[in-house]
Amino acid sequence: MSGSAVAHVVVSGLATGCIYSLVALSLVIVYNATRTLNFAQGEMLMVSTFVAWSAQRAAGLPAPLAFACGVAAGGVLAYVVERAIIRRAVSATHWDVLIITLGLSLVLRAGAGMVWTNDELPFPSLFSNRPVSIGPVRVAPVSLGIIGASLVLMLALVALFRATRFGRAMRAVAQNQNAARLMGISVERVYSGAWVLAAVVGAVGGVLIAPVTFLSTKMGLIAINGFTAAVLGGFGSMPGAVVGGMLLGVIENLAPLYLPTGVRYSVPFLVMIAILLARPRGLFGRVEPRKV
Amino acid sequence: MRTTALALAAAAALGWPLVAPTYVVFLGTLVAVNAIVAIGLNLLSGYTNQLSFGHAGFLAIGAYVAALLTLHLPVLPVPLTLLAAGLATALVGLALGIPCLRLEGLYLAMATLAFGFVVTEAITNLDWLTRGNDGLRVPLARLGPWTLDTDAARYYLAVAVAAAMILAALNVAATRTGRAFLAIRTSEIAAEASGIHAAAYKTIAFVLSAFYTGVAGGLFAFVVGFLSPDAFDVFLSVDFLVMIILGGLGSVLGSVAGAAIVTVLNDSLAGFQAYRPLIFGAIMIVCMLFMPGGLAAMTRRKS
Repeated sequence: MSGSAVAHVVVSGLATGCIYSLVALSLVIVYNATRTLNFAQGEMLMVSTFVAWSAQRAAGLPAPLAFACGVAAGGVLAYVVERAIIRRAVSATHWDVLIITLGLSLVLRAGAGMVWTNDELPFPSLFSNRPVSIGPVRVAPVSLGIIGASLVLMLALVALFRATRFGRAMRAVAQNQNAARLMGISVERVYSGAWVLAAVVGAVGGVLIAPVTFLSTKMGLIAINGFTAAVLGGFGSMPGAVVGGMLLGVIENLAPLYLPTGVRYSVPFLVMIAILLARPRGLFGRVEPRKV
Repeated sequence: MRTTALALAAAAALGWPLVAPTYVVFLGTLVAVNAIVAIGLNLLSGYTNQLSFGHAGFLAIGAYVAALLTLHLPVLPVPLTLLAAGLATALVGLALGIPCLRLEGLYLAMATLAFGFVVTEAITNLDWLTRGNDGLRVPLARLGPWTLDTDAARYYLAVAVAAAMILAALNVAATRTGRAFLAIRTSEIAAEASGIHAAAYKTIAFVLSAFYTGVAGGLFAFVVGFLSPDAFDVFLSVDFLVMIILGGLGSVLGSVAGAAIVTVLNDSLAGFQAYRPLIFGAIMIVCMLFMPGGLAAMTRRKS
């Protein structure tokens, strides 16, 4: 296998990996604020992408505006779900919330199947799929577009967490909820903020990846890869989520070159099991002390 | 009072095939099989707080072991086949449970989810053994001179096995092991401080849970008569979770009730596949918000 061919595979792996990073980030954002995993993250992403599709098809909006509609819809959905359902279970253990979000993922997927369709749909892209040559390496502009857009979003997140009041409040809640509350931070507002932010990040991932993977009610399953990515980097760590996602994307794209075809679809799961068994706190994770 | 209720339940269970139409008898068999899985899952999730999304994987292992044993070793009587299916699955449970001890909560849930996927992928790819996606036809179960070739016969087999396993599970809480499980559920660290070897008991729970599910898998193979990997997808694992959430975490009889409701619901919704996840998802959300503890907790409150 020639070097430039491998480079092509690596670049498209990085593009998929960027999406995994975004999904991983959205899982981690919710986890850091509320200490629970949102099992419906993938389905929320899927619904946002469907809304974007409808905005473009039915309402006839230009693609960028339609994408913005989808992302906004994702944020609204997250806000409603958090206020109407999750908030009611705040006193419950994170177990309960996990099961609620699992139920929510089933409901959202079935609901999307009824409102839209269970078939696969082509999705418009801002970037062309025809490969261009950069030196000896041929890459698809859509890969570069995904990587570029993801990096911009990640930088925006860094700025949000470093420089804004809300971002600092989220970091404070992630560190110590009680102390944050005593410092006058509205932890509840951080909860809903985290849900909305996570949904927005996930939705951007959704509209970016849909042109490549097609739009379908099954696309929510990407959350499993997002989770694997987050675990790979160390669950709870945002830089870890980014690195883990890209690593997973590249591994997944390179693996079929070296492994028998049957193993191919199991790669993310095998990576997850391997990481959980060998180093559960991932590459960048910390071990939290347990309390009674 | 209690003996009367038990006698009535036993009489109803035994008389069922005499009065009910064949298909309903088949449904009753499925209820018995699912009840065993639900109890197995509850031993793990309800008793020691370890959430599993991979029980369809355990069920698949039990089913394929039983089917392959019957294919290649037809002289083996059913009880031994089921026992072998349970033990083989328990062994896998041990192999998965020991490394999973290091994992908690979310991590364990995701590791078991991945396990479920890997099992179905493995079944698909080991097609020289399992016939992969073409599916495996399971020969009829044999018990000495009899061949269990009617729905009623398979029903009695499943109900007998289920009754034994329900009885055993009901009495787990009366043993040292069962009390250790409950202590771990309340607080793992406090349990350890009281001299309970939490790691050992959590492994036991995993193995026990896998054993229950493996036996149920063996029954499932005979009841359904045809196995293919797509029957054991993650949604089946979710169905099992719905059963114990609806029935009540940590309640054996709740598991049976949950299994019965979910099985019947599943069947009556067969024509409305699109609504099935919608309804099951809604059940999970409503249970968690408004009736934590499931049906078991509701009846307890009344009495």
